[in-house]
Amino acid sequence: MIQAGQQPKITVFHCLNSFRETPQLFEGCQANIVKMACSSMTQDIYLLKAFEAGADAVIVLVCPEQACRYAEGSIRAKKRVTRVKALLDEIGLDGERLSLFNTMAEESVALRHIIQTTLVKLDTIGLNPAFNHYN
Amino acid sequence: MITGSQKPLKEIATLVEPYERILILGCGTCVKTCFAGGEDEVAVLASALRLYFKKNYKMVAIDELTIERQCENEFIQEASFKAGQNDAILSLACGAGVQALAKRFAKSPVLPGVNTTFIGIQESPGIFTEECSGCGNCGLAVFGGICPLTRCSKKLLNGPCGGSCRGKCEIDADTDCAWQLIIDRMTLLGQLDNLATYIPPKNWSTSLSGGPRKLIREDHII
Ligand code: SF4
Repeated sequence: MIQAGQQPKITVFHCLNSFRETPQLFEGCQANIVKMACSSMTQDIYLLKAFEAGADAVIVLVCPEQACRYAEGSIRAKKRVTRVKALLDEIGLDGERLSLFNTMAEESVALRHIIQTTLVKLDTIGLNPAFNHYN
Repeated sequence: MITGSQKPLKEIATLVEPYERILILGCGTCVKTCFAGGEDEVAVLASALRLYFKKNYKMVAIDELTIERQCENEFIQEASFKAGQNDAILSLACGAGVQALAKRFAKSPVLPGVNTTFIGIQESPGIFTEECSGCGNCGLAVFGGICPLTRCSKKLLNGPCGGSCRGKCEIDADTDCAWQLIIDRMTLLGQLDNLATYIPPKNWSTSLSGGPRKLIREDHII
């Protein structure tokens, strides 16, 4: 349960073609945005480091699989996210904190929905239990 | 190459928990190729353990290093400094690497982070297959370069069993029948007649049943 006044931290990894920031997109949270030249740059270690750095949720935005400019980037990203979700479950952090969505940069309504859904999810699973929020 | 896969995180956490400072030591050769213990896997495991211990309010300092090979002293000595700085070493090498470290670092507990599985090859990206049992007396010349001891589920030496079906082994439909592969290959090589020679039962005294083996090259010993 997120307490009043708490602003969850969300880290967004995105490939160049899947995301464009719009005003008020991150209302109700603090966002950390990491731009990747290609979604295949989604690596296990980067996702985990985001949680080590205090992210309460990590969102990976990549192009639809058939629209990936580099053919396999989105598929690789999906496989890695699946693997790290399982690892987060093993750690006890809850794999639900990490999610991947196939988006296009112009889909601002969908992006807003993704952020708001993530905030609702965080309200249920709580903030990152491996990070001391009072530090 | 020797293949292996990383142990489950909880098992590793239980192994390292008694120590305050732990060195995760990767190996940059076989286990790197099969994604079990190279630099990337060391980094991911270190990060996962840090998160795990933080979540459980435990303090374990985690250090990371990957050396070229854990089965050779020349490379192992690169880890000496860090080994001395930490209470224990979690090795992500194969069982040989773990034991080589234990021999070299008498005062450091050395813990295995990888389950060593088999001698194999990378069939295609991400798929590794067992090819050799290290029996100590290679007979691949007779079988067209396909080892029935390793790849036939029943280790048959004189032709297929009755369970071979459309090129697949009866143990499961995804496993090629080794004898089908051998016969196809010998046919292609025009050497099928070689298989008419009776192969006597395997002499296992050159394998593990003869006790731990030692390879000695006198010309390299000073
Ligand atoms: S089906 Fe082929 S591989 Fe399987 S046990 Fe029989 S001979 Fe061996």
